[in-house]
This record gives sequence, C-alpha cells and structure tokens, in this order.
Amino acid sequence: MSDVLKKNGMTANLEFSEVHFRKRRALAADPKICSGCRTCELICSLGHEGFVDPERARIFIQSNPLKGSFIPMICRQCSDAPCYYACPESAIEIDQGMGIVTIRGDRCTGCRVCEKICLYHAIRFDPEKNSAIKCDFCNGDPQCVKWCPVNALGVVEFGKGVF
Amino acid sequence: METGFGWTGKILRVNLTEHKCSIESTHSYAERFIGGIGIGLRIFWDEVSVDVGCFDPENKLILATGPLTGTLAPASGRFELISKSPRTYPKETVTRSGMGGSWGPELKYAGYDALIIEGKSKEWVNLWICNDRVEFRSAKEYVGQDTYSTQVKLRKELDPSAKILCIGPAGEKLSRLAVILSDSTFASGRSGFGAVMGSKKLKAIAVRGTKPLKVFDPNRLIDISTRVRYLSANNPMQEWTTRVLKIEDQKEFINKYRKKNTACFSCPSPCFAHLEVPGAGESASHCANYYYHGAATKFYGHSMERDQAVSDSYVLANRFGLDTFEFRQMIKFLDDLHKKGLIEPQKGLPLDKIGSREFIQKLLYLVSAREGIGDILAEGCARTADQIGGGWDVCSKYFPAYGSADHGAIRKQPGVALLWALDSRCPLIDQHAYSRLSSTYQTEPQPFTLSAERAKSISKQVFGSDMAIDHTTFNKKPEAVIYAQNRSAVINILIVCDWVYPVIQSYATADRMGDTSLESKLLFAVTGHNLTEEELNTVGERIWNLGRAMMVREGRTRDDDTLHESYFAERDGEQAVSKTDFEQAKTVYYKLRGWDKSKGWPTSKKLNEVGLSDIARDLEKEGINLTSC
Repeated sequence: MSDVLKKNGMTANLEFSEVHFRKRRALAADPKICSGCRTCELICSLGHEGFVDPERARIFIQSNPLKGSFIPMICRQCSDAPCYYACPESAIEIDQGMGIVTIRGDRCTGCRVCEKICLYHAIRFDPEKNSAIKCDFCNGDPQCVKWCPVNALGVVEFGKGVF
Repeated sequence: METGFGWTGKILRVNLTEHKCSIESTHSYAERFIGGIGIGLRIFWDEVSVDVGCFDPENKLILATGPLTGTLAPASGRFELISKSPRTYPKETVTRSGMGGSWGPELKYAGYDALIIEGKSKEWVNLWICNDRVEFRSAKEYVGQDTYSTQVKLRKELDPSAKILCIGPAGEKLSRLAVILSDSTFASGRSGFGAVMGSKKLKAIAVRGTKPLKVFDPNRLIDISTRVRYLSANNPMQEWTTRVLKIEDQKEFINKYRKKNTACFSCPSPCFAHLEVPGAGESASHCANYYYHGAATKFYGHSMERDQAVSDSYVLANRFGLDTFEFRQMIKFLDDLHKKGLIEPQKGLPLDKIGSREFIQKLLYLVSAREGIGDILAEGCARTADQIGGGWDVCSKYFPAYGSADHGAIRKQPGVALLWALDSRCPLIDQHAYSRLSSTYQTEPQPFTLSAERAKSISKQVFGSDMAIDHTTFNKKPEAVIYAQNRSAVINILIVCDWVYPVIQSYATADRMGDTSLESKLLFAVTGHNLTEEELNTVGERIWNLGRAMMVREGRTRDDDTLHESYFAERDGEQAVSKTDFEQAKTVYYKLRGWDKSKGWPTSKKLNEVGLSDIARDLEKEGINLTSC
C-alpha cells in the first residue's frame, strides 16, 4: 500500500495509512436485492439538504428498469482514495479515526476533478453550491442503511464483515 | 393558500395542435382540490364539454401528481390520469386511472404538479420535458415500435435517466384496451387511455427533472414516514402480488423465475416480482399478469413450455401496450364462445388451442394490430359481445358493469357489489380500503390473516359497525362503501398508494388496529396545510361529489348504478346478489350521501355543503335541475 503511494510520489503517512486501513468502515450494497424504490436518495437529500432532491443525494441508484437492474452507487471510503489525491485544493479530507472521506465545502472550487476520477461514481456535483458532494457516512450512522426497506444496504467494517 | 411546500405551484399545458405550451398556477386548485384526481376532474369540468368524444381533439388528457408525490412519504410514487375513457361501456365517460413507477415524481422534480395535454398533432410526436425546456420531437421513427424498444431508443436519444411514458402499437391503432406504459410494467390500465394518447398522435412523454422539492417540516415527515413503515410492515398485499398466496402453483412459478422484487418510487413494500423465464423475455409483474396460468397449465401440464406461455402472456401484452386485466376474462370469453359455436373458427387464431404459446402470441398480436378478429376484440369484450349474437349470455359472466372485467368477490361480498355499482370503472383497483379488511380476515387465522374477532373490532372502529364486514347482509354496507370511496378520493389527491393507505389494519400492533390519520399527518408535514383526519375526509367527500356531478352531467341516474342482470341470479352454483336488498342498500347509500334517492343525483344543498356551489350552478345552467335537499 505505502509502496504504491511512494512510487507515485505521494506523501501519505505510513502509520496513518495503516491505522485507518484497519478501522475502515464503509457502506456496502447488494444490487441483487435492491428494489429500486430510491428511498435512500430521498432520506439522504432530506437529511443533508433539508429538502427532497435525488439529484443532490450522496447515494444514487443507477437503474435499468426493463432488466430489473438497480445498482446503488455508493462511496467505498477507499483507503487509497483517488479523490483525496486528485483534489488540487486539498478540499478532501480523510478522517483519522474511521477513514471516512469528506469534502470541505469551503475549500472546494467546483473543478469536478474528483467527480471524474471516482471509479464508483460516488461523487456528485451540486451546481447551486458550486461544490462537489459525497457521502459523509452520517457521522457513523448512515440513514440510507437504516431506511432501506429491503436491506440491500449495510455497513461493512474491515475484517469484521457486514452488519 | 401557501403552495410553496409539497406543491411545485405550476401546471404545464401542452397544445399538440399548435405545438405550443404554457404554464399555469396550481394555487387556485390547491386549497379545494389538493391535487391528483381533484385537480384533474376540476380542469376537465371547466374545459371539456360533455358531448366531446374520447378520440376528439377537444378531449384532454390530464396527468396530475399530488403534494405528497416525490417526497419521502412511503408509497408516494403514483400519479393519476383523467380523461374521457374509450373503455367505459356502454357510453364513453370521464374516468380516472392511476399509475405507479417513477414518472410522477420526475414530473414534480421537473417543476410541474400536473400536465394537461390537449389538441391533436398532425404528425406523430414525442414530448420531451427537461425542467423548463419543453420540446416536440418527431416520432416518425418510433411508430410501430413496441413499448420496450421505444423506451430504450428514447433514453439513448434524450437522456439515460429520463422517465418515459409511452404507448405501443395497440395505442397507435386506437385499441380500447391500450395502456400507457412506463418502465417494464407500470401501466395506466383499466381506462384505455393509451388510445387517447394514440388519438392525439403522441407516442411518448419523456421527463427529466433536477429541481429540489421543498418540504414544510422534514423532521416531522421523517417521524411519520417511520410510523407508516412500522405499521405497514408485513403488508399482506405485498405477499399477495409477489407470491400470490393461496394459489400454490402460481407461487411456485414466481419463486422459480424471480430475479428480485421491485418497487415503485419511495415504496417500502416492493410488490412487483421481476421475472425472467428463459426463452420468453423478462418483465416485472403483478398479480393480474398471471392471467394465462390456468389455461396454460391445462394445455401443457407442468412444463417449461407452460412457463414460457405464461411469460409471453404478460411480456407481449406489455410490449404491445395492452391491458392484461381484460385478457384474463377475454380468454375465458373466447373459450366459451368457441365451445358454444358462437364464433366461427378464425384464420389467424387457433381457438382450439387455448392455453398454448401460439394462441396467446397470435391473440395479443391480432388485437394490437387490429387484424382479423383482433379488430373487433380491440374494442373490448363488452363491445365485442354486442356484435355477436348471444354474446352477452357469455360475456355477462365476466363483465359486471361499465365493460370492466370482473374483479373481487362481487357475488359473495355485498359491500363489493355496492362499490362496483356506484363507480365509473372497476372500483377495486383504488378502493382496497374496504375489501382489504373484508377479504383478509379468516375464522381460523393463518400467517398473514386476521382473526374474525379482531377484524370485527377494527370494522367497528373504522366503519362504525362490526356488521360492515359481515357478508350475509347488505346491512351497514352503505356506510362502509362511503368510507371507502371518500378515502379512495383522499389517497388519489395526495397521491399515495391504496395498497398501503388507509392503514386500517396493521400486522405490527397487538390488536391489529392501524392508524387512519396518517395521511392527514403526512399532508401537514409536507405542505404545512393543517387538516384533521375528518377535514381530509370531507375533502374526499367533495372530490367524490365532484366525480358524481361529472357522471350526472353525462346522464347517469339511479338506474345506471347497477350490475349486469345476470349477477342477480344464481349461476354455476355461485350465489346471487339479492336485488331487493341491493336496491334498498342503494337507497340508504343515497340518503347517507345526502343525494336525491330517486335519481341518485347530489342535491344542491349537499354540493353547497361540501364547497361545490359553483358546480351546482354549472349543472343548473346545463338544464339539470337538482333537488334542493
């Protein structure tokens, strides 16, 4: 892990990396049982923005209803978060306790590099705030997991499995 | 009234004749009619005269959402359509039709509460609504395409996330059985509005919305939604559609081919099963879709071909844009006609092979393309029976009223018989409030059933008497029917799904009692419009009276509030509906409604009382003299 970072000329703290790798928590989704109701998008936008707007949700369902395919697009809180290294403004931070990757709205200039680099399409752009938005894990209690009616979403802790 | 929360405040009016659109305000309707069928019926009342035919350019198609649509409120993904229906029999009348999926919420996110479609285009067009931009796009290449390929192609052309309503070949050919379809199976089925869209040369309506929707009190909305979800957990209705409990054979079929359960927008109980049968396509599907199961099992026994035939029956109906509900009875109808020798053997249709894959494929194709016998059948079974000598002797068995296919225990449950007689189309689709309770309780409780004792206590609290669910008598049924109708109007203006609301019974409480005030609480949380449950019921009553006034304008009287004659006589060992009791119950119903009992018309006093004095005046102007009290 740290070798890869060093090779790319990145300066991540070895000790820090290991700590947050061990304690990492993230959302997990099972597209096989997602019913496509999009309740997660609604509760996410209502919780974060105070109004209902799936476009500004930090989770979204990529759907192909004709095939019954509904894939929740979620942030994995990657330990080697590409968005963290890609951000030219250092607006993305990784929490040292749980390894949650968050965006600081005051630093974000809306260049949308993180949106493009994310492999999981988990970062979205809010044109009104001119800022990128992403899952902040709701302070450790993700509402989408709580509200998913078919339990297609869960929290995974590295080394411990889904719960 | 404040319409800043819940409502978007705008109605989009699209004129297809001139390819123009305009925007109107929702404010003038919101207080009295709230949304959905309320707004739809009111606009229709004002703008379309009574002699307009369903395929005339003057007919309008109104697609209306409600204040709860697209919010977190559970099961709020629906919208309602109002238009003059080609399907109703013997006369074309104004009626409603609802639809799930996620098109309604997308319309709200695009910034509109409702969409009014008027006029008639010269060429085939697609309508593309992307937030404030409205485009009329040529649909030349889409003509003749089935609903699935239309959606795939349109998403490629416009936006991969666009939500699409479209019609199939059946709608283009003005089949009275045509549906408007969205995604794989969400359809506005029972009223034949696909043909209305077809008559306007409108192939599809695609919507994409990215605007936020303001909510009055998010925390309260979260609290009440949690409560709704708690109370509606283990909803037996979901079990009914995705597993078809009690019919073991169908259950096996569904479990074998189910990919997953899918849901409408914002719904906690996914009641569609997405099925994929190898060699026969895939689609989400609902209880009405398994109509061919019995016939196919008879023909093939238990085999792969049987499963493929069943799959064909609904996948092709969806693709062609036809209503599966009608075909359930049409198969039996054709079988009887054939056995009695009332129709000659048809060239394109193997009537001796009912139950086979070939038969259902050909039948659906012929009806959607209006070829051969399909040309007559596309008019619907009721109109077909008119054209065949002795047709009604067979047809009456399957079509109790208004050309709608038999649904529910009409003969066994007096309450259901009354519901049927007093509506303008099959009532059970959005009036499960009564039949859910009256059908699910059992004397010996099983999992997902209620005990008779608990059901009676619920009935007493909700309908006012435990006799309301007693199937031996018409006593107290009018009260229950009025409750069910008013509440169905309430859910159709808000709009929430009738499979969840009103939460009369719950499998999460010890006494199985639900909470019927949840709709009014949700309305307050979303809009800040504070109505008590009783006040909301009064709004429901207003909407029902408006619907009735619409029927009166179309010439409906007490004599039309009835079932087909044959339902009042015993048949094949099935009990008859007692005619004298039925008429007596109707008299009680009119009295309780405050209507004139000889004509079945609302009195002007009643219309004033429910806040529809302008409607009473309009009726007087048209020469319809209402009695004063």
